[in-house]
Formats: sequence, structure tokens, C-alpha cells
Amino acid sequence: SSQVQRGLARVSNAQVEQKAAEVVQYIMVKDQKKIPVRRADLVKHVIKDYRNIYPEIMKRVLQTFSQVFGLELVEIDTKAHVYILINKLEPHEALTTNQGSVNPKTGLLWVILSVIFMKRGAVKEGLIWNTLKKLRVDPGERHEVFGDVKKLVTDEFVRQRYLEYVRIPHTEPLECEFRWGQRAELEVSKPQILHFMGQLHEREPQSWSQQYRDAHPSLGAPGPSQPSRSQR
Amino acid sequence: MMSNSLVDEREASTLYKHCCDIHKVPCVPDKLDDFIDTINAKLQLMFMQIRKGMSEVNGRQYYALVNMAETDITRMSSDYADNELELFRKTMDLIVSSENGKISSTDALNIADSLMTKRLKKSEAEQVLNRLVQDKWLNEKRGEFSLSTKCIIEMEPYIRRMYEDQVKLCHICHNIAFQSQICDSPTCGIKIHNPCVARYFKGRVEPRCPACDEFWPHEIPEVPRSISRR
Amino acid sequence: GKEKASQLFSEGAAFDPSAFAENLLSFMGLNRLEGGEHEPQNGGDGYLPSDAWDRLARRAETCFRTAPTFHYMLGSFHAEPPPPKQRIE
Ligand SMILES: [Zn+2]
Ligand SMILES: [Zn+2]
Repeated sequence: SSQVQRGLARVSNAQVEQKAAEVVQYIMVKDQKKIPVRRADLVKHVIKDYRNIYPEIMKRVLQTFSQVFGLELVEIDTKAHVYILINKLEPHEALTTNQGSVNPKTGLLWVILSVIFMKRGAVKEGLIWNTLKKLRVDPGERHEVFGDVKKLVTDEFVRQRYLEYVRIPHTEPLECEFRWGQRAELEVSKPQILHFMGQLHEREPQSWSQQYRDAHPSLGAPGPSQPSRSQR
Repeated sequence: MMSNSLVDEREASTLYKHCCDIHKVPCVPDKLDDFIDTINAKLQLMFMQIRKGMSEVNGRQYYALVNMAETDITRMSSDYADNELELFRKTMDLIVSSENGKISSTDALNIADSLMTKRLKKSEAEQVLNRLVQDKWLNEKRGEFSLSTKCIIEMEPYIRRMYEDQVKLCHICHNIAFQSQICDSPTCGIKIHNPCVARYFKGRVEPRCPACDEFWPHEIPEVPRSISRR
Repeated sequence: GKEKASQLFSEGAAFDPSAFAENLLSFMGLNRLEGGEHEPQNGGDGYLPSDAWDRLARRAETCFRTAPTFHYMLGSFHAEPPPPKQRIE
């Protein structure tokens, strides 16, 4: 816009470059814990007096993430202006299977997301807690790997936007359900979940025909006749 | 590089080859460092760098992606609390001022009592130290802590600046030296990394200090197998 | 009747959370026999090895396109000079 133009006229290219680099740095610091970044915080902590050229700075930030790091900065909430970082590169087995450390929370999260997906979108919390109990994870007790499980699931995973934890209307006593959060929708591959699910049950992924269609919306209504091999 | 905090030369070459394959360009094996320079030209704008350094344990070369800036933004980092960072900093103080680059776990745990920010219980300090080992900032071997390769690569400019009068360079490879041997001669006192000692004295009948020519009184370690293979 | 049947057919197999949990336990390396020296873990017989969740996480990672995170030590705290060294002379 003309306002941005006027703003740009007053700062040097190097200054814009420098601000963009600071924004990249800030977002990467916040991403250490996978907490989404809010525009308001970005402006307050980094952009400061440069807010009138915000669009130009963000254009360069997106470019840097994409070209230097292979990452994509996605605005998951266009009203509140909240951003998360997503990997643009496909995981490559030969490069990732070596020693590199693994976060056990990913396993727990996978279990919860899988149950929600297999139950087609929403699951009462009771079912999640019961499933976890069968896996020796009791939300009422301190777990030696996960610590406070209830907090991890209903607070950390929710703040990271992997899960939504919402009250079911008109329930007495109060009942809550879990759904996929926006980060999960962007980061997690449904065909891959179904593929792993098939391995666990020694079954073809297609045998869960509805979930298979959910995972492959491009296949359209007829459903599970196409081979799944090409999917990643 | 971001998910693996440290990669050795072989892994770095594999990554380089993988990048060449993806972009269908010919891969020239000895151009790895040129390739890294090209990446660094981009990373430098974001105050990051891929840097090379030697492991003080096995003498092999490693690459690490490191941060170069110390700003209000970098201090927002969320991995460790203030008192945990103070514990780390004071552990580093002790390691740097030690003669052989190691301190006992007892000494490390005793720091917990002298924290200015917020005191840690012994058991909490133990957990923090374990995490620092897990996150590859410290090495732990037989109850002794030393600085990890990744830590030395990233912290080198800081260490040189903050511990200017304590830190010594290796007489052979000229990098900062912690786990090393020292010449006994009071007028000399040069340091040599253990792996550099092994390489330098290999095959010499009577070991003598390369600086003052006095007899080298320490036991000469064996050349680690991974180096002798080349 | 007929409508219900075709609806059932198009739904395919049902998802059974209990079977899912059982299969997961096997995948995570549940040891169902040796219980003797170990405390029985809540939820059932057998015990999970200590790396059970790592094992699952490593496999589950292939379902995620998570951006790798950058962790550093330099610059995470204020530089502070070490205490003056006592002179031993
Ligand atoms: Zn050396
Ligand atoms: Zn000497």
C-alpha cells in the first residue's frame, strides 16, 4: 500500500533486512517449544518502530524461511494473526534414522491424534484417557516419561495447536471432547497415520473405508479402489 | 543440521551428496567446505553459521550449526531457566579453570548452593546436569563432566573473550584446549589435546615437548582408531 | 433394512480402541511374561521397556512434517566474567 511505500522511503534496505533477520530469529526461538507466534508479540518485541512496513518485513521473512531453511511460515488464524512454522521438506529416511534424538511426546501425541482421526474428528475425553490407561499412562498419576500427563495433553498440546479441547454443549456434568488442532491439520499426514494403523493391525489401510476416504479426499466418493502405494 | 546438533565429516559428506542428488548437480567430494561456505553466506544474515571443530575425545572433525548473536531475542530462549543457565555457566567456569578440562560431579553439584538467581536442590541440580548431557552441552564420563564438542564449537568466541587469561591453545592444532596434557617445565607449560598428543608423538622414541624440548612426562595415549584408519 | 445394510457396508471396518491399544503395546515391546521382579504397571499384565515411548515416537515421526528446532547455548544468558582466579604463587 502507499503507506508501506512511504514507510519504506524512510528506511534503508539494510535496515529492513536487519529487521527481517531479527523476526526470523524471534520466530525460531519461539518455535523451540512449538508455541505459535502472535503478531502482537512480534510487533512489541521485535518490529517496534518499523510497524508501518510490517508487510514488507514479513515478505522477506517468508522468503528467508522458504529459501534458506525449507520451512513455511503459515498464518493459522487470520483474525488474531497467529503464525506457526511447518516443514516444507518431506522426511528423508536415510537422513533422519541415525542417532538423532527423539521426543517421546510425539508418540503420545500420535496415539491421541490417531484415535481422533479413526473416530472421524471428535472424541470424548473419557475414551482418550481410557486408551492411555491401557498404555500404562494414567492421567491422574505422575508418569516417569511425561510427568503431568493431564497438563501435557490438555495444556501443552493445546497451546501448541496440536489439539483442541472443548466443552461439549449442554452436558451435565460437564463433558469435554478432543479434536485436531490447526497445527495437526497442517503438519500431520492422515494417509501416513492410516498406513501405520494398517501395519499395527496387520490390515490394509483401505479396510477402514471411511477413514481412507477422509485421508484421501482427492479420490472422491467411490473410495478404496485405487492403490495407496504412491501416497506418502 | 538443525535436528542433528552435531554431524561428523562422513555424515556431512552424505548430506552434501544428498543435496547434490536432489538438485541433480554433480557432487565433488572435496568441495564440501566450499558448499558449507555458500550456506554460511546465507545463514550469516540470521546470525547463524555451520562451524567445524575437533572432538577432544576422539580427535575427529565435526560440524555444528551454531548461533553467533547475543541479543535480547536470543536470551528469550526457552530450553533452560535462569538458575539452570547459571549452573551451566558456573560449571563452565570450573571446567575452564581446571587443569585437564574435567570436573567431578561432586564439584558440579556443589555449585547448586552458590547460585545467585534461585537456589537448586542437589537432586534438581543433578537433573539439570543430566539434561545438559542429554542436550549435548556437557559430556559425562565416569562421574566427571567436560565440555562437549558442540559446546566448544559454539561457545569458542565466548570462551576466548570471557576466559582470556585462563584459556590456552593447543600447541599442535592452535584451537582452545581443555582435555589435554601440559608440559611440566615451569617456564613452558604448553598444552596439547590428548588426540593431538597421540598423533604428534606416534612413532617417536623419546617424547620431548615440541616447544621447550624437555622430556614429555605423560603417558602417550594411543591414536584413536578412527583417525589411524585414514 | 436394505438401506442400513449398505450404509454399514460403506462404513467399512470399525475402529476398535481396545484392539488398537493391545497392538500398540506389542509394538512398544510389552513384555507379557516376566512380571516377577517388576512392579505390576497400572492397566494390566506385563511391563513396558524404558524406551517404549521412544520406539513409538520414532515410528510416529514419519507422520509429522514438524519443522526442526534450533537450539543454542551461546546468547541464551548474559555474559558474565568468571570470578577472579585465586593466585597460587
Ligand atoms: Zn590440538
Ligand atoms: Zn615445554
